[in-house]
Amino acid sequence: MISTQQHRQYIQQLQSPNPVEVYSALRTIKNTIIGSSIKKTLYFQLQIIPSVTSLLALDDTDVQIRVQATAIISSLAHKGEGAAKQLLDSGVLTPLINQIAPGSDPVLMEISERALNALLAYTSTKMGAEEHTGTMIPYLLSIVTEGKSIVSVYDMHSHARVELAVLILGKLCVTEPRQYTIADMGAISLLVPLLCQVYPRLQVATLRTLSALSYENSEICTALTNTGHNGKPFATILLDLARSHDPEIRLTACLCLSNLSRMRVTSAPLKEVQTVVVPALVKLMACENLDKIQVIRALGYLCHEEDEMQKAARDAGAIVDLIKLLADIESEQDGDFVDIEHNTKLTKAILLSLGTIVSTDDECRRKAVDCSILRHLVLAMGSKDSEIRAAACLCARYITRSASICRTHLPECGILKPILNLLSDRSEEVQVTASATLVNLMLNLSPVRMEALKEGVVDMLVKLLQSENVMIRRNALWSVRNTVTELDDDNMLKEILDKIKVERLYELAIGQDEPMTQEQAACIFRNIVNEGQSGINILFDTLGSERMISLIQQLLTAGDDKFILHGLYLFNNVAVRSPEHCDLIARCEILMQAVIGFLSSSSPELIIGAVWCISGVASHRVDGAGDNALPKYIDELNLHNVQSRLESLAADPRVSFEVHDRVKSCLDNFTTTSSAPS
Amino acid sequence: MTSASSSSKQTISLEEWECKMAEVPIAKSDLNQLIMNYLIIEGYKDAAEKFSEESGLQTQVDLGSIEERMQIRYAVQSGDIRLAIERVNDLNPDLLETDARLYFRLQQQHLIELIRQGRATEALEFAQEELAPHGAEHPELLRELERTMALLAFDRQDSPVAELLEFGQRQRTANELNAALLAAHSQPREPKLPALLQLLAWTQAQLDDKARYPRINSIVNPVLEEPADKT
Repeated sequence: MISTQQHRQYIQQLQSPNPVEVYSALRTIKNTIIGSSIKKTLYFQLQIIPSVTSLLALDDTDVQIRVQATAIISSLAHKGEGAAKQLLDSGVLTPLINQIAPGSDPVLMEISERALNALLAYTSTKMGAEEHTGTMIPYLLSIVTEGKSIVSVYDMHSHARVELAVLILGKLCVTEPRQYTIADMGAISLLVPLLCQVYPRLQVATLRTLSALSYENSEICTALTNTGHNGKPFATILLDLARSHDPEIRLTACLCLSNLSRMRVTSAPLKEVQTVVVPALVKLMACENLDKIQVIRALGYLCHEEDEMQKAARDAGAIVDLIKLLADIESEQDGDFVDIEHNTKLTKAILLSLGTIVSTDDECRRKAVDCSILRHLVLAMGSKDSEIRAAACLCARYITRSASICRTHLPECGILKPILNLLSDRSEEVQVTASATLVNLMLNLSPVRMEALKEGVVDMLVKLLQSENVMIRRNALWSVRNTVTELDDDNMLKEILDKIKVERLYELAIGQDEPMTQEQAACIFRNIVNEGQSGINILFDTLGSERMISLIQQLLTAGDDKFILHGLYLFNNVAVRSPEHCDLIARCEILMQAVIGFLSSSSPELIIGAVWCISGVASHRVDGAGDNALPKYIDELNLHNVQSRLESLAADPRVSFEVHDRVKSCLDNFTTTSSAPS
Repeated sequence: MTSASSSSKQTISLEEWECKMAEVPIAKSDLNQLIMNYLIIEGYKDAAEKFSEESGLQTQVDLGSIEERMQIRYAVQSGDIRLAIERVNDLNPDLLETDARLYFRLQQQHLIELIRQGRATEALEFAQEELAPHGAEHPELLRELERTMALLAFDRQDSPVAELLEFGQRQRTANELNAALLAAHSQPREPKLPALLQLLAWTQAQLDDKARYPRINSIVNPVLEEPADKT
């Protein structure tokens, strides 16, 4: 075994004037640190960086010494992002790039590429290399160009140089401008033919780089689909590779095809992505030699907000397989030889992918529930890792979007208590996702809503309303909104509003908070008045008529249709459900003018909302006059020519059937006795 | 799958079979490629060189790389793991850096060699300083480390892990390393000929259920043998 003292001597030996001694020390250090994280740490502590970089910076350093020094830099860069950053800061990029210039010694060129590839494996170093890209990219493309002339399948080192150049190009594609720079320098026409060579590693490297080059870039995706090689279109080449026997080629081809599909490139083979790529990715999840996390993330990316892909994933067995993977990880949790860090990342990737797959389709959700996903989610919510807890909540949020699942599976799965606990999690990300899930659990059809109220959810929501995170405040308000909907218990409504405080809701609805919280607060008012007289009384008694009218007015004059709709239905619900308060708003000239003004809106939704308001007001009769009572507000309405405006709308062939029907019903109030809208 | 009954099997005579075989075109150049592939992957450098000359095969064989690989294989087979690691690092310094399992396998082999030589103290020190930290970073390797350490706890004849000290273990390590070196340079991990022979054996096994036909019963002496008469 070599002692620390000896290692120190090797470092000192690097200053020797004798090149043989320097070479020998470098070689020993290289062989000591390769593969060993502990030895790398030791050499960092012994200040190896300045010694090695100074050797590379000198013009007259011997090639053999350069090769060994560069190999050391390459090895040190593998230690991690911090180490790579330290190396970058020491200025190693310039000599490394010079060493890959055309005409350099091939061995030195290869090892320099290895070092660059290792250094640029991390986000910060990829970004930090910006000022060098102008020199580096042309050099790399020149190496790729040389690759065209390799004829022998056994010419290992030439292939390695091309493969590494291609990989580095891919690593540089971290921003859109970089993608364009590389594409504009002719990378596409150089890379695509490499896919048709029969060197698996080069094919994988090329696919990876094309995937990075085209990621979230529709222009480059389109440019790629317009290329091909030997008469074969690019997409066809990819589809062939997606059926390769080599799992890594299959995966990387799938990544490229996913990009084309996500960018909705018109000439992309979208149907084949469903029938070939999705099943291929699902099968690749079982492949031992592949990075499962990458496969699972790729599947999630492909299915994100894509209904058809989600169904294809379900049909290919993704839900069953992902949940089985979760179960496997859980079962080996207590083993002695478990890579906990890897399993944590894997669990997170599985939960996020599952969440994506079940986010829109009820059948996907049912499949997941049939495979006991809820049990796994409850378990994951208790994880020590906050990212897993957050991912589990996110997945639970999508699962609980299903009304039928909420009704049938929620009570017995025990999800409520963990969600309530996570509302006060130390991680804000967890609080965001837990509160988002709570929104679904508090829906009026949810059988756990009453249980949540018994568990003190209102107090928890009050706390969340004070959060500095706008998403948490938004989710808390959304939960309140669902909580007060169809509560059928006046006392409970009063109790809830006493805790939440109507004043606070008012401030939120009209104040300077983010629009997303304002909107939720406005909607809460709308839902409270929908509960009937008691809700309306609470609001008017607490805020007073003036402020209630002011609230409605502010909503009706907001620039955003969503707010206007809340204002219109708040108006309508008050008008319909409380004759006393209807009188207050119907006789408010500003409000009536605002409502009537929406009859000329270009939005059918706003017209319908305004017509409902008019119906609500028009339906009231003079008190105590029985069935033949006279309409109470028709004269006031007609002062604004409401009847004739409604008649014009009814006769207007441009309005939708929905508007037309609603207007016709409303007109009944002006001609006969009719009932108010329910 | 159920076997077809003996009487329902089709019988194909040797003559018929040979006629059919003659219709299958096999290019000489393809055969040469297969042979060259075998020689290169298996590391027969001189033979590959000679064969290249004699067959006129236009493949630019990187003979240097074959030699390097064979030297590495030889170093492992003779138990000089340090030398093998140095040579691997010269040939491709990324290999042991990025393949934690392979790096462990070589370190494990070195540990085995120390134990074989009776250098128990050195073995313990090596395991503690080199292998244990590596195992801590890759817990899935710890089981194998434990297994190797068991060599120190038993006499060789009583050891439940005695096979680690056999030559076959060096051979396995050498094969694994050779395959990794080939794969790291975009070359097939295995030569194609053995796979073709496996395919032949599998195809005959499939066909056995369906027909009586002239079989090749020995790959060393691949003679077509007349199908046996009906019984």
